[in-house]
Amino acid sequence: MGRDTLHRILYVEDDADIRKIVSMSLEMVGDYTVASCGSCAEALQAVDDFDPELLLLDVMMPDVDGPATLRELRKRKSAADAPAVFITAKVQSADMAQYRRLGVFDVIVKPFDAMALPDRIGQIWQQYLSGEYDHAG
Amino acid sequence: MTTPDDIVAVELARLSADFVARLPEELQAVQDGVSAWLDAPRDPQRFEILSHRVHQLKGSGSTFGCPGISRAARTLEQRLGAYRRGVDAGQPPAAEDVESAVQRLQNEVLRAQSRAPEANE
Repeated sequence: MGRDTLHRILYVEDDADIRKIVSMSLEMVGDYTVASCGSCAEALQAVDDFDPELLLLDVMMPDVDGPATLRELRKRKSAADAPAVFITAKVQSADMAQYRRLGVFDVIVKPFDAMALPDRIGQIWQQYLSGEYDHAG
Repeated sequence: MTTPDDIVAVELARLSADFVARLPEELQAVQDGVSAWLDAPRDPQRFEILSHRVHQLKGSGSTFGCPGISRAARTLEQRLGAYRRGVDAGQPPAAEDVESAVQRLQNEVLRAQSRAPEANE
């Protein structure tokens, strides 16, 4: 598979309804393969077998939030270099600064249009490939 | 011919109807959470549970066709934060600010339900 086409997205979101519609949209409309996880623990269980090309993470989750989940995923070789995208309504300047420090590639602001999400992810992937790194902020 | 977009749109409509049907339950949980937290505003666990619930409403509302719910939840989230900062500083603002934001959320729940189809139709 060529690196220019995105296939595998590891998606972590605690809200079951949001998780379902986003996964459906990414898989059916965007033709991506999605590992859909409800928590950091589920993501850590799935990540090595799935070998994601892109990480898509909700920020505000109970127990282990998005930034902490990303830190844990980065410890795994399979997710060490994959670009990370946060989905969040927390986009104050202090939040964005935190995302930048974490090396988050881009941020999708909630609320979002689930039907348009595959296109947005495609654009982010193209930006990543073209080397336009560090978009968060 | 049914396209993938159609299938996702149908599922989005179903989830949206379910979301609206659950709103009274969510509202009650928020009201209970606010009461419990105002009784013990220095309890971080009560605040975390409440703020997470309100934050989810903010994120889900517009995704599921209820932008008014998202706006009301955002206002409530801001006022909860302001109240907590006041408590931490020893000068909590009036609880009426929080209570009026809960009332606004309640109004938006009623508005959403008045124009919603039945969830199990």
